Parts: sequence; structure tokens; C-alpha cells
Amino acid sequence: MIRDRIVTLSATILLLCIVMSFLYPSQFPTVENFSQIMLNLSIDTIVAVGMMLLMISGVFDLSVGSIVAFSGGLAGYLMYYHDVNFLVAIAAALSGSLLIGFINGFLITKIGINPMIQTLAMMGVVRGFALMLSGAGIQNFPYEYNYIGQVKILGLQSPVWYMFAIVLIFSYLFKNIAFFRRYYFIGSNEKAAHLSGIEVEKMKLWGFVIVGLLAGIAGVLLSSRLGAALSTSGKGLELRVITAVILGGASLSGGQGKIFGAFLGAAFMGIVGNILILSRVSGYWQEIILGIILILAVGIDQLIQKKK
Amino acid sequence: MMNSIKALLFYLFLIAGLSACEAPPRTDGANKNLESTRFITSDSVSPDEEYVMITTAINMPLYVNHDQAAFKKWATKMGVKASILGPSEWDIPAQIATFEQVIPQKPAGFLINGTDPGIAQVINKAVDAGIPTVVYDSDIPGGRQHSFIGSDWYEMGRLQGERMVKILNGKGKVAVMGILGMTNMEAGFKGFLDVTQKYPAMEFIGKYDDKANVELAAKIMADLIVANPDLAGVAGFDINSGPGIALSVKEANKKGKIKITTVDAEPEHLQLVKDGVIDYLVGQKRELFTQMGAQMLFDMRHKTIAFSKNDAKAGVVPIPKKIITGSIEIDKSNVDLFIK
Amino acid sequence: MKLGLKNIAKSFEVVKALHDVSLEFHEGEVHAICGENGAGKSTLMNILTGNIQPDAGDILLDNRKVIIQNNQHARSLSINIVYQERSLTDGLSVAENIFPLPPTKSIGRINFVQLHEQTNALLQQLEIREFSPETMVATLSPAQKTLVEIAKALATNPAILLLDEPTASLTDKETTILFSVIRTLKQRRVTVLYISHRMAEIKLIADRVSVLKDGKYQDTLLTNSCTTEDIIRLMVGRDLQQVDVTTYATDEVVFSVKNLCGKGFNDISFDLKKGEILGLGGLVGAGRTELAMAIFGAIPADSGTILKNGQRINNKHPKQAIANGIAYLPEERKTLGVFLQKSIAENFVSAQLYGKGYSEKLNSQKAGQYSKTLNIRSTSVQQLMSKLSGGNQQKVVLAKWLNTQPDVLIVDEPTHGIDIGAKREIYKILKQLTADGKSILLISSEMEELLLLSDRIAVMREGKLKGILNKMETSENEIIKLAAH
Repeated sequence: MIRDRIVTLSATILLLCIVMSFLYPSQFPTVENFSQIMLNLSIDTIVAVGMMLLMISGVFDLSVGSIVAFSGGLAGYLMYYHDVNFLVAIAAALSGSLLIGFINGFLITKIGINPMIQTLAMMGVVRGFALMLSGAGIQNFPYEYNYIGQVKILGLQSPVWYMFAIVLIFSYLFKNIAFFRRYYFIGSNEKAAHLSGIEVEKMKLWGFVIVGLLAGIAGVLLSSRLGAALSTSGKGLELRVITAVILGGASLSGGQGKIFGAFLGAAFMGIVGNILILSRVSGYWQEIILGIILILAVGIDQLIQKKK
Repeated sequence: MMNSIKALLFYLFLIAGLSACEAPPRTDGANKNLESTRFITSDSVSPDEEYVMITTAINMPLYVNHDQAAFKKWATKMGVKASILGPSEWDIPAQIATFEQVIPQKPAGFLINGTDPGIAQVINKAVDAGIPTVVYDSDIPGGRQHSFIGSDWYEMGRLQGERMVKILNGKGKVAVMGILGMTNMEAGFKGFLDVTQKYPAMEFIGKYDDKANVELAAKIMADLIVANPDLAGVAGFDINSGPGIALSVKEANKKGKIKITTVDAEPEHLQLVKDGVIDYLVGQKRELFTQMGAQMLFDMRHKTIAFSKNDAKAGVVPIPKKIITGSIEIDKSNVDLFIK
Repeated sequence: MKLGLKNIAKSFEVVKALHDVSLEFHEGEVHAICGENGAGKSTLMNILTGNIQPDAGDILLDNRKVIIQNNQHARSLSINIVYQERSLTDGLSVAENIFPLPPTKSIGRINFVQLHEQTNALLQQLEIREFSPETMVATLSPAQKTLVEIAKALATNPAILLLDEPTASLTDKETTILFSVIRTLKQRRVTVLYISHRMAEIKLIADRVSVLKDGKYQDTLLTNSCTTEDIIRLMVGRDLQQVDVTTYATDEVVFSVKNLCGKGFNDISFDLKKGEILGLGGLVGAGRTELAMAIFGAIPADSGTILKNGQRINNKHPKQAIANGIAYLPEERKTLGVFLQKSIAENFVSAQLYGKGYSEKLNSQKAGQYSKTLNIRSTSVQQLMSKLSGGNQQKVVLAKWLNTQPDVLIVDEPTHGIDIGAKREIYKILKQLTADGKSILLISSEMEELLLLSDRIAVMREGKLKGILNKMETSENEIIKLAAH
């Protein structure tokens, strides 16, 4: 079924691109448009990789959007108000994000708080900290910091390359490293995984730490590419990313999904968003259409499974 | 053998990659060479000519009824296309993402809602692409937009301050409410304070953040009334401050005892003035923002007024750098003229 | 109301759960149903409550043939059941639990006055005075909860009441209360079907007792004219299979447990010799699985020592147990043993996800080898586990554990729900393993299996080790006597 989803999603994306190339021949199939689509989906995809990891193990994290805002806000705050070197600021932002992930994981696995409640609460807490740090927004970062997210390599802006690197690395890890492979077993039968010697709790804790770190990276990249830490950064990102991951073949009950599916899901949403902008469809339609697509994708899957 | 080929390929790619690196521009605001002021012009008006408004919170009534309505009306009159794009929520990164995706299509002009200083970079991208770009509502300090059109918020605060002093006879406790940290609001607060603090008998309690939310504004106001029974006046600075403040004043039976001044002149505000709950409104001329803003874009593209043989080449931006539309003052004496 | 069963049969895939069973229940009698684990008691209950449909045979209510479609239908036919697992909501009061559809006033408001009156009347009828209708269920003891369950079942005024192991979690005093309630029911001409393992109870409360064995009806006895021995004989009296006497047990003790205590078991000590199969018998809930989980580190023990080759080992997590050469094939295959949505190869490697990289190719190869030696029938090792039969699934789980190279293999109900053919194959594999010098702790509720495979049989009851019997010198009767009281 997972393999099916990767095939069907790729085919759908391809079909969409072909149709759009005929409808908007001078606007859609251009290098400029595609590098723009890629740039816009890069942040979501980096977080989606982490979310895919969690959803393979059967949980999810609602605080990622807030972590994205927090990470950019913390780096910006340190550089702007305290003249901290940009590397130190990035290190601080990433360790802060990692720490949030650790707190999530610790409270969920050791204290036993339900993941949804824990990360929902954390979403508010971290958003509050982010607002405190960045206020109405911070601009005028050091040139070096902006360079990280704005340099273009072979015509593509750097976040796209980071995205590719992260997708490739995690795809490799999930295929070849036993540590990451364990998440599939945890997600498909937690009790059996425990009885197979897998340290379920510890693995989940690590999962939240990894997601926190990836969201932190996304936050640094976003603020660096925008040249600003915005208080609304990462707003609604968690649901967008969960949608992308489910489109990409994950299931809420866990055990399913591939890292590449996270990229495809985000890419699909990015292309749909681009199509709506090209066809000048108004903002709220985007959400309606994405909602319908999600229901269709999952609904059709269910129907096929029932028939089988 | 295989390995050395792999290594060779790797380094080749690395070198190719590095040489293909394109660093971002060093500074954003200041580099004004002639190259970067060039813009696209056209000799004829075509019905396919598209002017794009990019905003956020696209279905907010204030935006729909004023900014967007005036823009659409203008486009119909001129026989051009008007597109309005942006996210349905207040989401700046999404506004930026939308903006970035429209630039490659090179529309005739951009009308940008100046929501956040963070959009400066993408404004510069549009300007560098040669697309006439006008920012409205709030100015964006780091951006190289061709023009800004909007209200003077310091002035709006000053007007409220003066009226407050007048109706309170220069004495009493006052507070202000709005979205803290937003550049235009902070300018408004300053205008208000610069006037009121000249009067030693006027005591300033503080700035309160209602996040442009009616319920929150009402809640804060209710708390303020309890904490300060002798509160004399409150000034509001976002669209929902006034209605929220008025609600709590009515509920506390303090109508007329606590003086309210606020911004914006929506039907709700006007009715509250008529009912005597709100004493004074400073309205914005929002229709002018987009109607005149769009007209400037049109004029720039079609060289309505030329200062040289070729302004685009000469580095002349043939439209005003900044337009302040001024304010509309409303109180009980003229409110009936505004109610439709 | 009179209830009759005529030639009822039911199979699950290959397993025959009920075989041509005919029974008669008189109005107002307490009728006990006895049998070993897997004798077909629960299947019978599920048929009577409409949870499953029989493959053949008729159900007769007052000599009229009925087809019980579902649980609700059963209730409308005046048949109700009190399950072993509870169906109560802790956050609600006794009254609300007993009447899930309470009397209402206008616009659906609950009429609490009437509800509490109703409940009070019901509790008084049953002579229950320990709690009131307003008591929150969360504050009740297990026994009181059982009484609420019974009251809930009686609220629908059933003519036939099924009680499934009602005393399993009750103390003697609480059992006395339950029995007085059952006697009250009897006076009201309610037919009570009473399922229990406990011989003493059956003698005490039941009028008649029917015995099932391997899905077949044995006989019905009058309790005041038979002995416990008679009932046990009916339960076990099978033609004994030819016992495989080959043993590979040596005298070398490789594994011992000393004074192990934990949740569900107490002060357990035994030795396991190289090449030996030690059977662990007892009733469901005797603490055998809990003991196995503790040895394996899944639910660490509270106190006591585990020695392997004379060295003390401490398994705080299954990961350590595996590293110490212990493997555990869990009891409930579907929920604890397998990853249904994963392939055979992935299931095969699931206990070895530590230390090294993960190579799909290598795993598939190895899984393929085991697949051949254990005769696992599948299209390929990439086939999803959910597509395999129970027997083949179990063989995959066995292969997974054999590949960890354990010295001690704990197998918990290894042939549960598996057809005869696969059963035989698994027996052969287990014997072969002992020939290779491995030691096996075999937990089984099937007497036949225990007697066939074990060299010695340890019997547990209520968390305690009641004795270790030598297979050559023991009998089923002796084991059952130790296991039940």
C-alpha cells in the first residue's frame, strides 16, 4: 500500500504538471516557477521528514510549527539584541529546539502524558516564547546569517538543497540503519516490538528529539531566507505537515510510510498551492481544496482496502 | 579504479556547485544604482493587463469592504484585470510565499499590503524584476517599493490625544489599547502620549494588547474598570479596540462617564458614536490607498507623466514617493452623514 | 424459560470448537458448565448471546426454534450474560450503569428520582445493601462491581442468565454474597448457566453440571449425587496419545530461578537442565505468563534471582534478555507476537534491530533459509504476515527467535488456535531444539501437549508453584488436582 501511494502520488503530480503546462504554457513550466515552488515547500518538507518518522512510530507532534517560529526567533533575538555571532545563534536555536523535543518526549514517555495533549500544550507554550523573543518581528540580521538561506547554488536557493539533503539522508537511514528501522516495528505493533527487545519508550523519546531538531533547522532556514523572524512563522504548519505526510502514505495508526512519501506529499501540496495562485483562486479556496484532496486520498485508499 | 572515478566526479560536482553559488545582495535598502530602478513600461493598455493585490487575512471585512472593493471598482473602470491573492489567515510567511510565486509571471503592477517589515526582501525582488510596486496601509522601512500610500498613524494618535484632552478638560486617568509591537500602532501610541503628557493632570495607566480581538479588548477593559474605578478615558488603535471597549463600558453602566476615542469608521463604530458610547472616531481613507495606489501603478507603467525621454532608463520613478491620505474625524455632530 | 441446544457445531477455520453438542437447561435451575481451556465453553456462550452463529444445529427456547442474530436480539429473547471482563463505566454512578437508557422527563432530561427508585428496588430484590444507587462505580471493589454487572444484566429481566467465571476475582466472603444472589434468582425461576473452573463452587451452587471436552459433550451429572473426581474424570478422560518418551535432557543445570516474586506470582524457584523441556501447567490466570514476562524482562520482577550457567543475570528489558540468550514466544500471537502489516522477512528480523546496519537483502536470504527448514508455506518472504495461516505465522515467530541463537526458549501457548498438522510440526521443531542442546520452558493449558512434550511438569496455582511432577510418574488427574482446588 505504501509503495502504491508513492506510485500514485508521483503519477498524480506528473499528470497535474502536464495539464498545467498546457493550461499555462508560459507561466507554469518555467525554471523560475519550479525553483519558487521548491523553495516554498522546502521548509514544510524538512519538518515533514520528522513528522513522517513520528507517524511511522504511531504518534505525531503538534508543536512543530511553534518550534519553527521559536528557533528563528531565538536566533534573531540573540543576533539583533545581543550581537551574538551568527554561528552561536544558530547553535543556540538548534539546541533550544532539540530541548523542546526532548521535553515533549520525556513527558510523553516517562510521565505518560498523551502525545496529542502534550504537544498541543507545548504548541501554545512555545508559541508564547517565540512571541516573547521576536515581538512583532526582527529584521536586519547579519549578512552571514541571511547568506545561509539565500545563497543560490545552481540556480536553486539553498533551502531547496538542505531539503534534498535531509530527504536523502533520512531515506538512507530508514532503509539501512537498524535504529531507524525500529520505528516501523513500534508503529505496527508496540507490544510485540517491546517483546522483541526494542526499547519503545527510548525510541519514541529520540523521535521527538529528532523532530524538534528538524523543526529547529527549518526555523533557522525560514528566518534566514526571509531575512526576518516573524511572529506568524510556522502558523498552521503542523496541520499542513501532517496532511502532507498522510498524503505521502503515512497512517495515523502507525507502521506505514516512507520518507520519500513525506517529500511527495509536501510537493503535491506545494504544486496545488502554486496552481491555485496561477489560476488566481482566492485564499480560502486553497484550504477547502486541500481538505477535499485529503479526504479523497484517504477515502479512496479505504475503499480499495475494503474491496481487497 | 571505481573509487577514484567516484571521487573525481564528487570533486567536479563540488567545484561546479561552488562556482554556481550566487550570493544574496549585501545590503537591502541602500544600493540604488540605475540598474535596480529600471521598470517595465508599456505603450498600450490591454484588457489582459493584470494588477495584483497581495494581502493577508484576505477575508477580513475591513479589507474586503474598503481596500478590495475600491481596487476592483477601479479595475472595472479602467478596463484591466484585478487579482487579489493571499492566505485567509493572518499569516505573513504565506503572504510572502504567494508574492514570490506571482513575481515570475510579471504582472503589470503589485499593490502590497504592508503587513510586516519582514516582507521587505520580497518587495525588493519584485522591484528588481522591474514590476511597479506600491505598498499601502503601513510603510515597509527596509523595502525599495516605488511608492507608499497610507495613513499617518502618529497623526491619528495625535488627533485622538487632542480630542481626549478636550473632552476630559485636561485631567483624568487614560489608557490606550491596540496591537503592541506593530510599527503603526506604536507610532499612534506615541502621537497620543506626546499630546496628553503635556498635561500633568492627565495620568497615563498603560498600553494594553488586545490582539485585534473584540472579546479580548472587552475583557481587558472590564478588568481596567474594576482596577481603576476613576478611569476617565481610553483610546483604541485597531479595528476591534473600539467595539470591545464600548461593550465593557456599556456593561459596567459607565456609558458617557468613560470617554472613548478610537480608530476606524465601520458601521458598528458609527452606531456606537450615534448611541453616545464612543465619543470620537479617526477614520482612515482606505479606499484611497488602493484606488490611488493602483492608479499610480497604471501611470508608472503607461508613462502618464514623463520626466525624461525614458524614465525607466533614466532612473526616475515617475510617481510620488509617499502619499499620506489623511484622516476622517467623526463625532456626534457629523456621524449621521456617514451612516448609510 | 426452558433452553435447549440441539446438535450445535462450530468451527474456526480448521479448529473444531464445538462438535454436535446437545444440552438441556431447565427453568429455575443453576446449571454449571465445565471443561478444560479450549473445551468450547466460550464458544457456547458466544452462540447463546448471538455474538457468533453456529455452523449447524438449533437453539430451542421453550421448544421453539430461534436464531439469535446478535447481542441485542439475545436480550430481547430474555437471555443475558455477565462477562468475565467488565462493561462498567467508572465515571458514572451505579444506577446509571445499571440502566444505560434511564427514564427521562421532557427534552431528554434524566429522571434521577425514578432512576434511583428503580435501582433501589432492584438492589433490594437482590438483597444487596453494600452500596446505593448513587455510589460511583469507581469507588467499588472488584466484587461489588461484579454485583453491579449482575444487577445490570438482571435489569432487563432475563429468564436466562449466563455467568462466565463470576468468582474469578472474588474473595470467599464476596463469593458468599454472590451465591445468595444466585439463590434469590433461582427462587424467581431464572435459569442460570454457570461457567467455572472451581469444583468446590460447582458442588455448592449448581443443581446439575455438564462437561465439555475438546468441543464435545461428555455427560450431565446431578451435583448432589456425584463427586469432584467424577467431574474431573469426564473433563480429562481422553484416549491418551502415544507418549513420545525420547528425551534429550541432561543433568547439567543451565538456568535457574530462585525465589522470584512479582506481580501475579510469588516465590517461584525451579531449575532448567540442558536439553530439557520443562512444562508449566495451571489454569488461565495462574500467573504463568506473568512469570515468563518477568524472566524475559518485559515486566521486571520485584525480587529474586535468575541464574544462567551459574551466573546471575538481571533482565530489566527484553533487549537484555535477548543478549543473555533467552527468547520468549508470547501467548497471544496476534496482539503480542507478530507485526501483521509487515512482511515475513521483517518479522523475522524484528528481534535483531540492535548493533548493526539493516540489510533487506541479507534478512530476506536468512528468512528464506529458515522458511525452508521450518517448512513455512508462503509465496515469498516478502509476503505480508497477515496473509499467512496461524500455524505459519507461529513458525515465523519461532524462526525469528531461533535466529537470535537462544539457549533458553520460553514458549507460551505455542499451538493455541493452530490446526493439528501445524501443531505436530511445531512439536517436532521443539523436540529437535532440545536435541540441539537448547532448554525449553513450555507454558501450555493443553494437558495433552504438556504430557507429550515435557520432561517434567511444574504446576502453578494463584501465583504459586504447587509442585514439580515427573512426567513418567504423573497423570492428568494429578495435574488438575494441583491446578484447581
